[in-house]
Amino acid sequence: MSFNDWQEQQDITQFLHHEARLLDEHRWDEWQRLFTPDGLYWVPLAHGQTDHLNHASLFCEDALLRSMRARRLDQARAYSQQPPTRTVHVLGNIALESRSEGGCVVRSTFLLLEWRKTDQRTFGGSVLHTLQRGDDSALRIQTKRVDLVNCDAPHEALQVFM
Amino acid sequence: MTIDLQALVQPDRVHKRVYTDPAIFELEMDRVFGQAWLYVGHESQVPNVGDYFTTRLGREPVVMVRHTDGEVNVLYNRCPHKGAKIVPDGSGSAGKFLRCLYHGWTFKCDGSLLSVPLRSGYEDTALDLKSPQYSVRKVARVASHRGFVFASLSEDGPELGEFLGGVATSLDNFCDRAPDGEVEVAGGVQRVIQRNNWKIFFENLHDTIHAVATHESSWRAAKEEYEAMPAGTPKPFEVVIVDGNGEPLEFWEKLELKGYDHGHGFMEGIFVPPTDPVSLAYVASLEASQGAERANEILRVNRHNTIVYPSCSPHTSFQQIRVIRPLSVDRTLVEIFSFRLKGAPEASFQRTLKYTNIVNSPSSNVMPDDLEAYNRVQEGLASDGGDWVSMHRAAGRDQPLPGGRASNGNSEMPSRNMFRTWAAYMGVQTGSAE
Repeated sequence: MSFNDWQEQQDITQFLHHEARLLDEHRWDEWQRLFTPDGLYWVPLAHGQTDHLNHASLFCEDALLRSMRARRLDQARAYSQQPPTRTVHVLGNIALESRSEGGCVVRSTFLLLEWRKTDQRTFGGSVLHTLQRGDDSALRIQTKRVDLVNCDAPHEALQVFM
Repeated sequence: MTIDLQALVQPDRVHKRVYTDPAIFELEMDRVFGQAWLYVGHESQVPNVGDYFTTRLGREPVVMVRHTDGEVNVLYNRCPHKGAKIVPDGSGSAGKFLRCLYHGWTFKCDGSLLSVPLRSGYEDTALDLKSPQYSVRKVARVASHRGFVFASLSEDGPELGEFLGGVATSLDNFCDRAPDGEVEVAGGVQRVIQRNNWKIFFENLHDTIHAVATHESSWRAAKEEYEAMPAGTPKPFEVVIVDGNGEPLEFWEKLELKGYDHGHGFMEGIFVPPTDPVSLAYVASLEASQGAERANEILRVNRHNTIVYPSCSPHTSFQQIRVIRPLSVDRTLVEIFSFRLKGAPEASFQRTLKYTNIVNSPSSNVMPDDLEAYNRVQEGLASDGGDWVSMHRAAGRDQPLPGGRASNGNSEMPSRNMFRTWAAYMGVQTGSAE
């Protein structure tokens, strides 16, 4: 499936770039406002995982859990954020997967460089954004599913949103 | 260089080298992990003949596999021919027999040699295919308690039941909580790498007084989240399991700690009858199958972390087992297995997964501050700023129990208890801490 036109492709590309930038700049409140009220941020634990309720995940966060994570990252005594994690997202291969009433599913790929304390880590994978247009016609995230190529590897702490 | 272990372990303090010296780590692999009963896995991970699951016992790669006679075997994952690991790391089905990828030697699922290609090539040679050395070696001892499989790399030592002592009741309660009396591993395995010595993690499992200090970022975040909700909102499960770390030291003091021989122990919880719909539906399912009286008896066994030294930590009320695998003197792998209570509502299992996602996952909001603390301990211990690590808190105040000792929740009894066992495995006389 392809985008209707250049404008649609441009809108969605800009939206994804903006979302990634909010994360890289630790603008957690603005990032959370991109989600619909029932929005889900999900990083599966298993390759090809189909279920977030009956299988453990790396992240499986609704509005409450996203907000708790954001609040924790900004606490003065978040010792594991001394120094804070720094990230940069690089996005690519943005493609329209499917379209539904008022929304669409967009697939992209990403590389994520993450630095903290002594080490730089590299994550990568694909992302499925299920997007909805709100009453204000702005795009909102209903689901952000991040499939890491090394989802089932042993990991050190994963603190910030991917 | 010989290591004077005797000088490193005292009843109420230990020398930093026990956490930092690679030579001591190698001795631990021989003497602690080479002798103790170690948790391998649960029988439900290998339900059918030929199903296998690989793990590591001390330094040894092993495979748990179900044989045609239904028995669960634990074998060294090493082909007796050229030494290749026979099954790939992970889990799966080997079929009716194990077949080495390198030259196609095949073995029954109890390890015994089935066939070799070019058998005639071995005629009149010194290689006797009937010799046990050409079968896959079994670990010295394997035993199971309510489906939890343990192995010992040593022929000698206590039987599993004697080894478990007072913490066998935690494994029993783990299963008794299922309406059908059985549990099964389900929902995937989370794996976390810690940059610290394995003993630092074990000590933390019953270190109640770190919670309010170390976890301030997560318990404050949870409290703020709850305060932002409309007044009268029932406190969500997601908040309850995180903000509890903010309880004052007096709260923890009341949680009794039990320490048993062989280094084990558990922390008693305070029984709070659950009132949320998920808990009530679960209690109803247990009562329906076991009767109200028995169900009440089962649920009154209310424990936080149990320690089965030196390989795992079951959590009976949230159905998790954390398996601790030391990788090197300053690197430890923790694998988190979730269990389904057979016969319980699906929502109970989903709550188990919610607990593991929030508390035990690599992405936990709670754990990063633990990992940071463990790592700063590991790095600090490498310095010349001091030589000893204190375990003095409430020393000399333990109360004797059959097969062990009890203390209040803020005592460092569990650490002293583990080091008493550690010293015994390592061949050190420590005297008495009582």
